[in-house]
Amino acid sequence: MKHSSLTSSFDWFLLIIRRDLLISSRKLVGFITPVIFFLTIITLFPIAFGPEPNQLNLMASNIIWIAALLSSLLAIEGIFNSDYRDGTLEQILISGEPLFLIVLAKVFCHWLVAGAPIVICSLLASLFLYFSYENISVLLISLSIGSLLFSLLGALGGSLSLGKNAILSAIIVLPFSIPILILGTACVEASINNQDYVVYLMYLGSILAIGIPGLSLAIAASIRLNYE
Amino acid sequence: MGSTPGFFNSTTRYVSWFGLFAFLILTFGLIWGIFFSPPDYKQGEVYRIIYIHVPSAILAESVLITMSIFGFLNLVWRVKIAGMLVRSAAPIGASFTFLALISGSIWGYPTWGTWWVWDARLTSTLLLFFIYASIIGLYSFSDNQLKGDKSISLLSIVGIAIIPIIKKSVDWWQTLHQPSTFSLTSAPSMSPEMYIPLAICVIGFYFIYIFMLIQRLRVEILYRERDTRWVGLYFQNKLEKIS
Repeated sequence: MKHSSLTSSFDWFLLIIRRDLLISSRKLVGFITPVIFFLTIITLFPIAFGPEPNQLNLMASNIIWIAALLSSLLAIEGIFNSDYRDGTLEQILISGEPLFLIVLAKVFCHWLVAGAPIVICSLLASLFLYFSYENISVLLISLSIGSLLFSLLGALGGSLSLGKNAILSAIIVLPFSIPILILGTACVEASINNQDYVVYLMYLGSILAIGIPGLSLAIAASIRLNYE
Repeated sequence: MGSTPGFFNSTTRYVSWFGLFAFLILTFGLIWGIFFSPPDYKQGEVYRIIYIHVPSAILAESVLITMSIFGFLNLVWRVKIAGMLVRSAAPIGASFTFLALISGSIWGYPTWGTWWVWDARLTSTLLLFFIYASIIGLYSFSDNQLKGDKSISLLSIVGIAIIPIIKKSVDWWQTLHQPSTFSLTSAPSMSPEMYIPLAICVIGFYFIYIFMLIQRLRVEILYRERDTRWVGLYFQNKLEKIS
């Protein structure tokens, strides 16, 4: 990586994405663990509630959303903690580049590694749970917006609890992710009942539009706090 | 808001006044509410728990609002005492929220026939309690006190920004699922004999909050500056007074 050619902040954005993707491609376990965790949670539900297809079909989208939320919690540790331990985060901070852009790059990368595979795996999960095929596109779209928001919130929790107990970040993130869970499940349910689901997608999208600048500024501020 | 010893000494004089005010106002309001205000035409005598429930529910949200204001002061202008105030206020807010939940469920059993309903208000109050819990958890895990103060300042600001979204979404969620068979929100317009003692109780609760906040802050100041000379002198004077 040539550092001399970094002229604009956007180059930094791309650099961080390239670097983080490279690191996660060398450590494939990082890709696989959230997916396995997701699928394991999915299998817990038929085991606990019984294997009747009619019953599972009713709850399929809700189960997938809960599993996506829980597996996003599992992945929080990976966003900042390794960079914090080896000092990369400190170097990024003293580089003087806008921190929120770098934070956004890291969050986006984290979503590519931990969020997007889960969205794709929800196809498999919908097969397990007898989810109807007509509504699968709504599930995928809402889940991809939702998992992006989960990644942002997870980054907030991770940056507030840098170098601390992992369960702490889960406790911080969970109450804040309730609105996303509500809107996401409502969206899929509306689509199943042939109601207007676009409204919920718009609400999710507007939360994302507020969340990207708002939360990334908050994350940047909380990273700075750790180095004061 | 200057030095911490200055703040500590200036509060010494009037902190107990807040406690006294809180005690007097609340005794007055509660006695009026429980013994002298008329019974409700629908619920009878049970409704009187309102004089505890509503003030604590109001305080549950006000405390978080004040915490976010203190947090803003702490983050932007680096007022050290504001950071201590956020930390001191969090357990108070959590207790008020807990009291609101408990008193609501005690009230709910005779009137609704159940201890808990997944009503929009109850759910968002429960989530508020979890937010307080996360703030308390965050500072209990942090080893550096000043950093911990700043982290919880940030978290309370984020919390106050997200609370409207939570409330709104819980409202939607409530209307989407089967509507609740019980209706608490359609409160009949209250008569002034009920309303005035309730307002007095709310003011009394605010005084309790201020009193507890200042007391907790004073303890926090003493704890943080336990190695300084003035704290040593303070306790020396206390001991001399006792003996």
